[in-house]
Amino acid sequence: MQDNQKPTSPSTAEFQREVAELMIECLNLEVTADQILLDAPLYGEGLGLDSIDVLEVALVVSKRYGLQLRADSADNQHIFSSLHSLSDYIAAQRTR
Amino acid sequence: MTSNTTSSHATWAQTPERSNRLMMRVMTWISLRLGRRVARSVLHLIAVYFLLFAPSSRRASSEYLRRALGRPARWRDLYRHFFTFAATIHDRVYLVNRRFDLFDFEVHGEDTLRHLLAKGNGLFLMGAHLGSFEVIRALGRKDTDLRVAMLMHEENAQKINAMLAAINPEAVQDIIGLGHIDSMLQVRERLDSGGAVGMLGDRTPGNDTLYPVQILGATAHLPSGPLRMAALLQRPVVFMTGLYLGGNRYAIHFDALADFTHVARAQRAAAVQAALLRYAALLDQYCRKAPYNWFNFFDFWQSAPTTTLPKS
Repeated sequence: MQDNQKPTSPSTAEFQREVAELMIECLNLEVTADQILLDAPLYGEGLGLDSIDVLEVALVVSKRYGLQLRADSADNQHIFSSLHSLSDYIAAQRTR
Repeated sequence: MTSNTTSSHATWAQTPERSNRLMMRVMTWISLRLGRRVARSVLHLIAVYFLLFAPSSRRASSEYLRRALGRPARWRDLYRHFFTFAATIHDRVYLVNRRFDLFDFEVHGEDTLRHLLAKGNGLFLMGAHLGSFEVIRALGRKDTDLRVAMLMHEENAQKINAMLAAINPEAVQDIIGLGHIDSMLQVRERLDSGGAVGMLGDRTPGNDTLYPVQILGATAHLPSGPLRMAALLQRPVVFMTGLYLGGNRYAIHFDALADFTHVARAQRAAAVQAALLRYAALLDQYCRKAPYNWFNFFDFWQSAPTTTLPKS
């Protein structure tokens, strides 16, 4: 937890929890935010999302935080690999 | 719809695609080297070959035709089924090469399609392994305001792209590989620019939630993924098929299937289920209308684990 550079934004842990809750709400997942492991894969094993679930998360996240997700971004695979990387990406790129 | 299940590695995921690819490779070579008339005669040999040496495909064909024709299938029916399959795959080669002059297309329901396209928000064209999809892409290439990108599983997309590249390099860009977040965003970009995205909704190569539906009087299981995606992206879905009528004739049909444009999240699941039922009804209708155009040469009605079927 070393992210102290943005005093107005919530702490990393709080923000990861917020993203987890957003995912749970948008997909009607039957887990709690605590049960989503930070580094477990979102796809397949791990949280068990399929590609359409992940798309849904992408759409909701981009709307909520004002992100521009691009189809030709080579980073997409990494961004959506875990809650950890997704939260980091949003925190860095959010416009609202 | 009383139960659903998740498919994983159903037997057809390996076998039919392999025979499709082999058939396609053989036919591409023959068609380009020897011309359509010679190639057409080879199709009969291929149909005979499948009839004699592909017992599992033959059993599947026989079982399907019994349902579609409402009587036991005879050898000539099976032969005609395999021949129709070979003919449509063969014609793909010419269609990709823009030889539209070789064919006689009748088009039904084009107004439905035009009306939705004119709104500029794009749409999904949902087909099946029923008739020829390439015929519809040909319609798109003939006039410039209909651009169809085909969405298919990554592995198949790569192989088909390699094949198309050999026939016509321009055809390659029309395929979007399914399976990554990137491909989903590509789909959205395509739709946002007013384009059509095509997909086949009767099989799933990976894990997908399946729903039981009635087709030709028996329970079959359809993947919900394609319609879930359309619902998520809030677009209209138009059913389409290019039925082979024999000779050089095709009948292209467009039917409104669903419109998710104003479907909110809370209604989404119900709307997807309703659309799946409509899709099943359209498959049923066209299987009866053009029985030899069904190209699922595996036991479509038994492809889900039987333990998931509702007990009655």
